[in-house]
Amino acid sequence: MAMTTEGTAMADTNATGWEPRILAFLCNWCSYAGADLAGTSRMQYPPNVRIIRLPCSGRVNPIFIVEALRQGADGVLVSGCHPGDCHYLAGNYYARRRFALLQRYLEYLGIEKGRVQFSWVSASEGARFAEIVTRVTEDVRRLGPARRLNINAVARRGEVGTP
Amino acid sequence: MTPLPETLRHTIAGWLEAGEIELFIGYEAGAVPLRATPVFIRDAADVERLIWDATCENNLVAFLPKYRGKKVGIMVKGCDARAVVGLLQEGQVIRENLRIVGVPCGGVVDARKVAARLGVAVEDLDDAAVTADGGVEAGGEGIPAGEALFDLCLACDRHNPNVYDVLLGDLLPEGGSAAAEDFAHVRAIEALDDDERWAAFNAELARCNLCYACRNACPLCYCNTCFADRTMPRWFNQTVGPEDLQFYQVIRTFHLAGRCVGCGACTRACPQGVNLRLFLDKLRLDTHDLFGYEAGTDAAAHPPLTTYSPDDPDDFVL
Repeated sequence: MAMTTEGTAMADTNATGWEPRILAFLCNWCSYAGADLAGTSRMQYPPNVRIIRLPCSGRVNPIFIVEALRQGADGVLVSGCHPGDCHYLAGNYYARRRFALLQRYLEYLGIEKGRVQFSWVSASEGARFAEIVTRVTEDVRRLGPARRLNINAVARRGEVGTP
Repeated sequence: MTPLPETLRHTIAGWLEAGEIELFIGYEAGAVPLRATPVFIRDAADVERLIWDATCENNLVAFLPKYRGKKVGIMVKGCDARAVVGLLQEGQVIRENLRIVGVPCGGVVDARKVAARLGVAVEDLDDAAVTADGGVEAGGEGIPAGEALFDLCLACDRHNPNVYDVLLGDLLPEGGSAAAEDFAHVRAIEALDDDERWAAFNAELARCNLCYACRNACPLCYCNTCFADRTMPRWFNQTVGPEDLQFYQVIRTFHLAGRCVGCGACTRACPQGVNLRLFLDKLRLDTHDLFGYEAGTDAAAHPPLTTYSPDDPDDFVL
């Protein structure tokens, strides 16, 4: 899960050239295959998403999501198999409980609604994957560059409390 | 300070002599005014040192995971007992190994609050003493319980331990459950907008100096290697820069999701007065809201993040 600062250096925040940078954690069996299908079917979706493949959405430790924001992701998408379809039978059910709490918690701490999103995409849903990436990208674009929890945006001391 | 009653000292000495326990964790008079200190009794003759009064603020359950597999006696207040239940649920302690002295607790004294009221430093509360009703007498002034106890204790309606072998004193009348709590401090933050919530979060963190007292005082923070201490990967740097404080606090508190029993040990332990309950209580509230679960109430229940239901809330998923 080492995202190097070089590899994901903050997108240009000068209003003109800024493009949201979204990190997507996809499960190997459904959502990654869905993304693959979208690609092989030549479907268009915004190129703002960077994909990390994991065995299961249940493998997504909440620390990954917070770390992604810390390292400069403007948005995070986590996607797994539909409930009931998990390759490991129940991984996404466990994940769902974790994410339900995490999403509310991050919003409570002041992370804007829409920065961190969750979806279920099956291996046959290439079109749905393209739709979801489009939607998340638009949501994040509307929110603008992520500054909260972002190590690059608040690297200087004495800025606590400044959004 | 009030020594334990004769019969109770006798009981504890008996456990030690009979080998039912090898260690009893309780409180003794402390060096700092209005603060008892934890004591570890291994010799039956030392039970004389044990006390109980409203200065016994520590949640001693934080020591239990260090004695995994050992037979240990311990003194618990109502909130501490819920932490014992949490450890039982997570298999960190075995009930048969424990001898629990339960204390129906009317609240413990907040020395900082008392000192602030008198306009002196905590160390200068030399002549302060607790009264039978939980108030404090200091500097010739009587401070009623309502102004001397921790805020958490004043709001507490569950004074009685829910797991114990013997009881010190009589059970107190009490309300019920987390469902009955109003969580007004959490609701107040929820009502703010993003910017204000972020400011509120950082306003608390601005005082944090990353001493890890919250983690060390927490009965459920028992990982052998905390993520904060890991060097591979090293998740964040050991600095008081806002980005490091944010990362530590977000992750540590989230590790208590569905597990925090709301004993307030972290908040009482914080030397900087960071109100960690603002964050942990949000998790307790949501856990109850989403999964109808309350930590520390049922030793046979699965913690909510270790189980699932096909009917769990799904409306937040795209």
